[in-house]
Amino acid sequence: MSDDNTKKDDMTTSQSQEARPGSVSPNASISRKLREFYDAVQEEGIPDRFLDLLERLDHAERNAKSVDAK
Amino acid sequence: MSKEEDNDDRIFKRDLLASLPNLRAFAVSLTGRHDKADDLVQDTIMKAWANQKSFTAGTNMRAWLFTILRNEFYSQMRKRGREVQDSDGLFSERFSVHPEQYGRLDLQDFRAALDKLPDDQREAIVLVGAAGFAYEEAAEICGCAVGTIKSRVSRARTRLQELLGVSGEVDYGPDAGDAAITSRAFGG
Repeated sequence: MSDDNTKKDDMTTSQSQEARPGSVSPNASISRKLREFYDAVQEEGIPDRFLDLLERLDHAERNAKSVDAK
Repeated sequence: MSKEEDNDDRIFKRDLLASLPNLRAFAVSLTGRHDKADDLVQDTIMKAWANQKSFTAGTNMRAWLFTILRNEFYSQMRKRGREVQDSDGLFSERFSVHPEQYGRLDLQDFRAALDKLPDDQREAIVLVGAAGFAYEEAAEICGCAVGTIKSRVSRARTRLQELLGVSGEVDYGPDAGDAAITSRAFGG
């Protein structure tokens, strides 16, 4: 009986438990998840297509400028 | 070209490059999808490049780039109409079918919840809570009052808590807990 109750409590912990003393506030939890999500994308780095694009833009600009200078 | 111009050019490129990971994360937050986000970032780079003379050296390049990207996002959405009206259904289905395309598994439910926010609330909480902007800067990027940003952030937090069923810090395991949250976030 008491075992059953314990099990049940464990299963529903994430849904029914109110903030416990010493636990982080809901806002802090949301903020942390948001930053984790955002940082995970940032850590993917810069895709090659953007580096290629910048190189092409740079190249085109330099060509245009050298024509101007003539 | 003068030495000074050349130097400005170099700084512009360096700062643009340095801002890209953050800018891209913002794009992913807005669009909810990596492929669309990268198209948006590409358009933003082209626009920024073409308008680099209008950027005042020494001012906040990140805010400038975010403003361009945001304007581009909304103008494209207006043009196409909202392609994905049914964002709940379609997006959540994509999430569950191809989670590997969307980064870490434990962030899937958060990402799905973020996608459910109204656009104005989502951008506000992302700019302030993740991209590292002050309320004032976020207000400038979104072209609205500081108070408006604050209330959007606050509403976004409340809504995310509801969607994720968060009431205090709980260590969600990768099993039963996640399933419960997922069905909650998607069940709506």
